[in-house]
Amino acid sequence: MSTITTTLIMAGTQDNSSSELLSENNEGEVTEANIDDTGGGEAGEEEEKGNGCKLPLARIKKIMKADPEVTLASQDAVFLVTKATELFIESLTLEAHQYTSQARKKTMTKRDLDNCIEAIDALAFLDGAME
Amino acid sequence: MAERPEDLNLPNAVIARLIKDALPDGVSVAKEARMAIAKAASVFVLYTTSTANSMAQKNKKKTVSSQDVFSAMKEMEFEKFIEPLQESLDLYKKSMQNKKEQKEAKAKAKKEVEGKKTHEDKKNGDDDSSMETEDSNKEGSSENGVEVLEIS
Repeated sequence: MSTITTTLIMAGTQDNSSSELLSENNEGEVTEANIDDTGGGEAGEEEEKGNGCKLPLARIKKIMKADPEVTLASQDAVFLVTKATELFIESLTLEAHQYTSQARKKTMTKRDLDNCIEAIDALAFLDGAME
Repeated sequence: MAERPEDLNLPNAVIARLIKDALPDGVSVAKEARMAIAKAASVFVLYTTSTANSMAQKNKKKTVSSQDVFSAMKEMEFEKFIEPLQESLDLYKKSMQNKKEQKEAKAKAKKEVEGKKTHEDKKNGDDDSSMETEDSNKEGSSENGVEVLEIS
């Protein structure tokens, strides 16, 4: 599984060219044309992010700030958490898919997710969070 | 004010995209499953943040650093993320650096141009949007009076 994950991740990091500033409000800033591979028009949520993430850093930062114990986080840290979350989503999807394909189904269901949360130690933190 | 994981959501379209890209062709995902993954992702952010913050505190630091996040990955048993994260971080830092240099070069060039001309060519507010610099947490447009930083 880790091979697949690594491959995906490598693919994901290959489209970094120039960067944008960390902002959800970048309008019309066309630099070295780093148009990320969103295939366009996704509900206006995605803007050009030259930072190699699809998820918005500002949103992640907001979530991080929700923790009362957190004072400050460096820019790099916010980036890393964002990127890690993307990796996590990919990883979780793949794990759940194991169950989907085992059951010979073409549609992944919540059941598949529940199964893998139960089976994998590292996912124990999700136990009970999904109801 | 405690905010529950549901209140701090990540954009569904992006998550749907990430999920789709991870799967082979022909596999679809039930809406319920997609929502569950989105929720899991938010919980993951919280968990990572909390863990990383503990690392920072252990080191008597107030700011969560990239190193803390790496330590958190290990603690959370997501070591497999560490290498790809490191690579991404390197790329990110490079591009931030490039961006900074570009900005500075343009600002400098602009100053020189303005020095030569008078009122002629103040390309002000040319429809260029506001610049936000994340690292000093300047939210909102930061047009510091003198120059309008433009990226074109």
